[in-house]
Amino acid sequence: MKLSYINNQMVFLGSLALLGLLGIVQFANAYLISFVFTILIYYILAQSWDWIAGEMGYVNLGHYCFYGIGAYIFGIFLVEGYTSSTAMLLNIVMTSFIAIIISYPLYRLKGDYFAFATLALLPLMEVLAYNLSSITKGGDGIVFPIQKVSSLTYVLALVLSFISFILTLWINRSRFGYALRAIRNDEEVSEVIGIKIFPYKVKVLVLSALFAGLAGALQGWQMSFIDPGSVFGLNVALVPIAMVLFGGSGMRWGPLVGVILLACIQQWMLVNLKMLQTTIYGLIILCIGRFMPGGLLRAGWIKKTKFLSFLSKEHHEYMTDQLEKSVIQSDAKQISLQDILGTRTINRQILILECEHITKSFGGNVALDDVSFKINQGEIVGLIGANGSGKTTLFNCISGVFKPTSGKIRFLNQELSGKSRDEIAQIGIGRTYQLPRPFGDLTVLENLAMPLMFGGEGMSPHEALINARALATFIKLSNKEMVRSDSLSLQEKKAIEFGRAIALRPSLLLVDEVASGLTPIEVNQFVEHIRTIRNHYGVTVIWVEHIFSALTQVVDRLIVLDTGRLVADGPLAEVLKDEKVIASYLGNAKGVTNA
Amino acid sequence: MISIEVLAQVVLGGILIGGLYALVAFGLSLIYGVVRILNFSHGTLLAVGGVLASTLYATWGVSLSLMTLLLTPIFFAYGYLFFKYLLEPLSKKNHFESTVGTVLVTVGALLIMSDLTAKFAGPAQKNINIQFDTFEISGVIVSTTQIIILLGIIFLTLALHYLLKLTWFGRAVKAVTQDPLGAKLCGINSGKIKATTFAFGSATVFLASILYALSFPVDPYIGFGLTVKAFTIIILGGIGNLPGALLAGIFIGVAEGLTGLFWKPEWAPALSVILLLIILIIFPQGFQKSK
Repeated sequence: MKLSYINNQMVFLGSLALLGLLGIVQFANAYLISFVFTILIYYILAQSWDWIAGEMGYVNLGHYCFYGIGAYIFGIFLVEGYTSSTAMLLNIVMTSFIAIIISYPLYRLKGDYFAFATLALLPLMEVLAYNLSSITKGGDGIVFPIQKVSSLTYVLALVLSFISFILTLWINRSRFGYALRAIRNDEEVSEVIGIKIFPYKVKVLVLSALFAGLAGALQGWQMSFIDPGSVFGLNVALVPIAMVLFGGSGMRWGPLVGVILLACIQQWMLVNLKMLQTTIYGLIILCIGRFMPGGLLRAGWIKKTKFLSFLSKEHHEYMTDQLEKSVIQSDAKQISLQDILGTRTINRQILILECEHITKSFGGNVALDDVSFKINQGEIVGLIGANGSGKTTLFNCISGVFKPTSGKIRFLNQELSGKSRDEIAQIGIGRTYQLPRPFGDLTVLENLAMPLMFGGEGMSPHEALINARALATFIKLSNKEMVRSDSLSLQEKKAIEFGRAIALRPSLLLVDEVASGLTPIEVNQFVEHIRTIRNHYGVTVIWVEHIFSALTQVVDRLIVLDTGRLVADGPLAEVLKDEKVIASYLGNAKGVTNA
Repeated sequence: MISIEVLAQVVLGGILIGGLYALVAFGLSLIYGVVRILNFSHGTLLAVGGVLASTLYATWGVSLSLMTLLLTPIFFAYGYLFFKYLLEPLSKKNHFESTVGTVLVTVGALLIMSDLTAKFAGPAQKNINIQFDTFEISGVIVSTTQIIILLGIIFLTLALHYLLKLTWFGRAVKAVTQDPLGAKLCGINSGKIKATTFAFGSATVFLASILYALSFPVDPYIGFGLTVKAFTIIILGGIGNLPGALLAGIFIGVAEGLTGLFWKPEWAPALSVILLLIILIIFPQGFQKSK
C-alpha cells in the first residue's frame, strides 16, 4: 500500500523534528526535558481526545479519567514488582477493556447527556481511587519504585506523540475516518447508507482511551508519584480539551498548536505567578470558550498570513487537493455510471418486496393500519396519499428506521424484522429523505462516495471519490463536486440525496418526494432518471410524489394510502377510477373532498 | 443493631440536606430547561455564597436578614450578566462550538470562583456558627436550626412554584422551555427571559447557601459535587418539574445518609454519580422524553 498522504517534504521535516527532539535528551538540561515531556503528554491527550470530538462530534469530557486509570494500573503493577514492560502491557489490555465496557452504556447517550455522563466519570473515579485504598493506597497516592527513567519516558512519549500524529493523518484518509465523520453529521443516515456505526464508535473510544492510558502511565512513571487529585481532578482534567479547542478541533494542526501555545503560557505562569494560578487558568479557559470555541487556526488573519495559512487547512481541503492531483493524472480513465452500478437482469416474476399486515402506531396514533402489498422486481410503483397518510412512515418501516408494531416485511424472501438499518441497506434497499439530509460538512463528492466505501466489498476513500464523480455528473452537480453540501440549495441537496441512494447500488430504491419544488423541465429530467435506473440498471423503485403528472409518466402501478390504510393498489387507469381514491386524494367532482 | 431513634435522626438529616440539594437543583433545572445549557459552575455558587455568608457572619457579625437583603440582588445580577455577556453570544455559533464553548465558559467560571474564594476566605471548612436550642421529640434530637432550614426549603419551593405558576414571567418561562421559536413568535423576548431565568437560578442558590451553611460545613471546593447531585436530581425528578426535584433531592439526601449509616460515609459521594449513570443508561433522554 502506498502511503499517499505522506509526501517527501513531510517525511523530511518530520525526521528533522524527531531528531531535534531526541537531541534534547542528550544535550538539554533537566528543566527543558521535563517541559518538552509535559508538552508531549498533553499532545497525546489532546490529539486522542480530538479523534472522538473533532472527527465524530462526541464531547467526551471524561477523557482524562483514562489517563488516570492508565497511571494507576501501571503504578500498581510496578509497585507489585512486575517489570515495566509487563506493567505497560497490562495497562494497555486493561485500559482497553475498561473502555469497551464503559462504551456500551455511554453510547446510549447523545449530546449534552453524553457530555455530562462522561464528566461525571471523573468524580466517580476520584471517589473510587480514594476509597479502594487496599489497591490504590487512597489519598496517600502511589509512590513508584525509584528508577532513573526520565530519558526513557521522554523517548517513549516522543514516539507516542509521533504515532498519534501519523494515526491522525491515517484516520483522516481512511474509511474509519469517513465513518466517524458520517456519525458526526447524522447517525440515522449513516446507518441507512449501510454503515454499521456502533463498532466504529467503540473502536474510536478504545483507541483514544488507550493513548490516554499510555500517556498517564508515562507521566506517572516520570514523576514517580500519583494521587487521586492529580489524575482525576477537575482542574486538570479539562486542560487538554481546552488546548484542542484553543488550537482548532478537527484540524490537522489544531491540537498541536493549541498544546504548544497553552503549555507555554502555563509554564510562564508557573514560574512568574506566585498566586491565583488557577484563577488565571480558569480565565484562559473561559475566554477560549467565549471567544474562540472554533479555534485560533480558524481565525481570519491566520488564513490571510502567507506563511501561516497552511495551518488553517481543514481536512476535507487536504483530501480535495490530493483528489484534484490524481484526477489530473488519471483523466484518461473515465468512469461511467455503468461501471459503478453494473447491470442487473430483471425478472418480473420475482417478488422483491412483500409487506404483510404492517401496523405502526405511535402511542394512540395509528400511522399505518394493516397495510399489505407486494412489489415485483423491475416495477416502478407510485405511492400516493394525502399528507399524514403514512407514506413516509411506511418507508421508515421498510428501511428499518422504525420497527413496525406488527406485521412482516420480506425483501427477496428475507425477513427484515430482525435486521438493523445498515444490514437492510447492505442487502439492497436504498432510500432518500423527504427533507434532504446530506452530510452537511462534507463535500458533494464525499457524500456520494460514502455508500461506495461502505457498501459491498468497499472501496478505499480515494477510489470511491474518483468513482463518485460519475454520480455527480449523473445528478448534474459535477460543477460543485468540491463544495460543502450545507452551502447548497434545497434542490441540490435533494439531488445529493438521490445520488447517494443510488451509490448504495440498491436493488430496491425508496424515493421520497424528490421532485417537488422542481421546475417542469427538471421534473421531466428526474422522471428520466427514474426510468434510466430501472431500464439500464434494473433497480426497482417505489416513488412517493405529490406531482401527479410526473408519476403518470413512469409508474407501472399505484398504491394509495389514506389515513394509514391501503385503499387502492393497481394499474394507473384502474386506480384513477376508484371512488375512494378520488375522494381521499384527488378531490371529487366538486373540487372539495367529503369530510 | 441501629436503634429507631438513630435511624430517624439520619433520615431527618437526609431530608434536610436533600431539600438543600433540591434548591440547588431548582436553579439548574430552570436554566437547563429554558436555556439548554449545562451550567457546571452552578453548585460552585453555593460554595461561594456559603463561604461568603459564614465569613461575613464570623468577621463582622452581619445578620442573616441583612445579608439576604444585600447579597441576593448581587447574585441575581451576577446570573443575569453572566448569561448575557458570556453565554448568550455562544448560542449563535454552530452546535459543536456552542456546546464546548459553554462547557469551557462555565468550567472556567467554576475554577475562578473556587480559587478566588479560597484565596480571600481560605480553603478551610466553615459554617454560620449560630447557636440554637435543641429539643427532643420522642428520642430524636431536633435543633431549631433544622426547623429553620426546613421552613426555608418549604418557603423557597412554594415561592418558586407560584412564581412559575401564577406570573406572566412563569408562563413565559414555560413557553420558552417548550418551544423557544414559538415563544419568540408570540412576542416573548426569549433572550431576556433566558437571562432572567439564569438570574433567578443564581439567586435561589445563594438563598440555599445561607440555609446550607447554617448546619453543614462549606468550603470553596464543594461546588462541583453539588452540581453533579443537582443534575442527578433534575433527571430523576424531570426537567422543569419542581415538586419532582424536591422528592428526588430528598431521596438522594436520605439515601446518602443511609449509605453512611449502614456502610461507609466515604462512599456517599459516589452514590449520586452511580445513580446518575444508571438513570442515564436506563432512560437515555431523561424521564420526561421517555414514554
